[in-house]
Amino acid sequence: MSTETLSVPDSLDSLKPVRDFVKHAAEAAGLEKKSAYRLVLAVDEVVANIILHGYQEAGLSGEITVERTVHPDHLRIDLYDSAAPYNPHERDDPDHLDRPLEDRPIGGLGVYLARQGTDRMHYEYVDGRNHNTFIVLRTEAAGVPAVSEG
Amino acid sequence: MAFNLTSENNNGVAKITLSGELDASVAGQFKTAVEQAAASQAKSLVLIVNDLAYMSSAGLRALVFAKQKMGAGTTIYVVGAQETVIETIEMTGFSHSVVLLESYDAAQIEVA
Repeated sequence: MSTETLSVPDSLDSLKPVRDFVKHAAEAAGLEKKSAYRLVLAVDEVVANIILHGYQEAGLSGEITVERTVHPDHLRIDLYDSAAPYNPHERDDPDHLDRPLEDRPIGGLGVYLARQGTDRMHYEYVDGRNHNTFIVLRTEAAGVPAVSEG
Repeated sequence: MAFNLTSENNNGVAKITLSGELDASVAGQFKTAVEQAAASQAKSLVLIVNDLAYMSSAGLRALVFAKQKMGAGTTIYVVGAQETVIETIEMTGFSHSVVLLESYDAAQIEVA
C-alpha cells in the first residue's frame, strides 16, 4: 500500500491533471466506470472551489497537493491546500433541487454532487492547511472505514 | 480530450455542440455562447453533447444562467448525453427543467 502525490498550482488549468491523477487511481483500484466518474467529479468540484474561492477570491496563492492511496478495501484521496480555511460540509445540502432552474440560486451543487459521489468525505483544518478526504469503497460488501485524524 | 464548442442560431433555435471535458476552467466559453443565444432571441436552446465526456457543476450553473437569461419560456434540450452526464443532470433535479433526447428530433425541437 503506497501513497502517490501530485502537486499543482492554484490555477484552473490544474483541474485536468488532478482529474487524470484521480482517474488513474480509480482504475488501479478497479472501480467500475460509474463510481470512478463520480469520484473524479467529487474531487474536481472541491478542487475548483479551493482554487476559485480559497485562493483566487481570497487573494492568496499556493499549491494543492493530491495524494492517492489504494487500500485493500477502499481508495482514499487526500487534498491539502494553504488557501483560506473552508469547510465544504458546513453548508446543508441544497433544498431547491426540485425547483425549476429559473427559480434556483446558482451554486451549492458542486459539493452536493461530491457528497453523493463518494462513500465518505471528511474535512479538517490543521497547521494552517485545509485537508479534504474522499473515500470510495472498492467492494460493496466492505464497511466504510473511519477517517483517522491528523 | 480537450473541450470544444461550436454554435449556430437558426429560426429561433440556438444549437451549441459541446465535446471533451466541461469543467470550471472552460465554463466561461459555454456561458458566452449562452449569452449569444439569449441575445439572438432564441426560443429553444439545443445542446448536442454526444462527445461530451465530462461535465462538472460549472456546466450546470451555465444551464441555470441560460434559463434565467433566456426566460422561463425557453426550452432547453440536451441531446445524446452519456450515461454519467445524465446521472449528474438527474441527481441535481435538472432533469425536471431540461428535455433529455437520445438524438436530435427536428419535429419536436423546431416546431415547439
